[in-house]
Amino acid sequence: MKMAMRAALRCLSGNFPPRLSRLSPPALVPATRLLYGNRSGCWRTFSTTSVHCKGKEKQSKTSSSTREQGWTQLSMRTDNHEALGDVVYCGLPEVGQRLEQMDEFGALESVKAASELYSPLTGEVTAINTELAENPGLVNKSCYADGWLIKMTIEKPEELEKLMDQPAYDKFIKSLEE
Amino acid sequence: MQTNRPLVEVVRLGLVSYQEGLRLQQVFVNRHRSGPAHALLLCQHTPVYTTGIRHKPYPGPLLEKLCLLGADVHRTNRGGLITFHGPGQLVCYPVLNLGSFRKSVRWYVGQLEKTVITLCSRLGVEAATSPHTGVWVGDNKICAIGIHCGRYITSHGLALNCNTDLSWFSHIVPCGIEGKGVTSLSRELQRDVSVEETIPHLLDAFAEHFLCQLTEGERPEQNSGVSST
Repeated sequence: MKMAMRAALRCLSGNFPPRLSRLSPPALVPATRLLYGNRSGCWRTFSTTSVHCKGKEKQSKTSSSTREQGWTQLSMRTDNHEALGDVVYCGLPEVGQRLEQMDEFGALESVKAASELYSPLTGEVTAINTELAENPGLVNKSCYADGWLIKMTIEKPEELEKLMDQPAYDKFIKSLEE
Repeated sequence: MQTNRPLVEVVRLGLVSYQEGLRLQQVFVNRHRSGPAHALLLCQHTPVYTTGIRHKPYPGPLLEKLCLLGADVHRTNRGGLITFHGPGQLVCYPVLNLGSFRKSVRWYVGQLEKTVITLCSRLGVEAATSPHTGVWVGDNKICAIGIHCGRYITSHGLALNCNTDLSWFSHIVPCGIEGKGVTSLSRELQRDVSVEETIPHLLDAFAEHFLCQLTEGERPEQNSGVSST
């Protein structure tokens, strides 16, 4: 975990846009900021670009969380796309809806198969990607960028600890193929 | 490499309403909570039009018009658009845990398609897949597929026209695909092909494509007395 933190800090000092004027919402958890504070002691929020440069953030089995100013953005993982097929429909929750970990927050349809999406974290939905209504294929084409699903607050940061990091996820995927 | 073949229980439900079919599927879905309990439910439905999770194309008034034809109408959580189920159509609901097979919805739907194509060929009908999910004979769909998968447990499934009265389909755009028609085994073979005749071929093809072992199961106890609905 400490190595991941050091890697994150390296990324942060490199290409980190100052966003001090945008304060995190009160629901944000101080513990998260502690992990990502820089050495000068000035607490900054962090942008998605810096998280991406260290590789992907914590993973649950289907969704990937990337951080954006203490919120988390959920996307369908790229390695699920092969298994799912082209997405033709995406049903998303309402902004303001509260989700518990493992709650259903939406559904995707592809190849005449509908599957629910399960929230990896507890929090409140703060934004939904309305582009997906007209263009559900974005989920396949650009899952971490234009094809993001929802943004939500992180109410229980300890849940993040239980999600898989990249090496654990890769191991998990390999075990499925055996 | 042959691994242990999963065991799948075949449960013959007979002629049931769509609602009863949903209830029974849920019973079998719930059994998976305590470990793999794969089942293959076989039935025919009383006339019903069903829609999938995409609701927008089918507002209330449109569905009410279909009710006037004498059929039930149900919104469901499966993939796919509108379709019809009725007597003479073999409806098959595999309730599988894909964890015992392959954790890929795309693979699963593909295997269902292959199962039906094999079945058709055994009866002398040349069927194929197309860019539209389902099984086709030329431009006519002979089998509709629409499934749901939650936490790797599948429900809903396929509906193969054996000797269905195809005129029910003329009131809808089946599966939302314009310009295509529907057909049945009876129409293709120019003779009466019943659901009963088709079932053994379906089971053989299913066991072949899903590399599983089939066993005869029992229908769960029916609700005694009149249901509350």
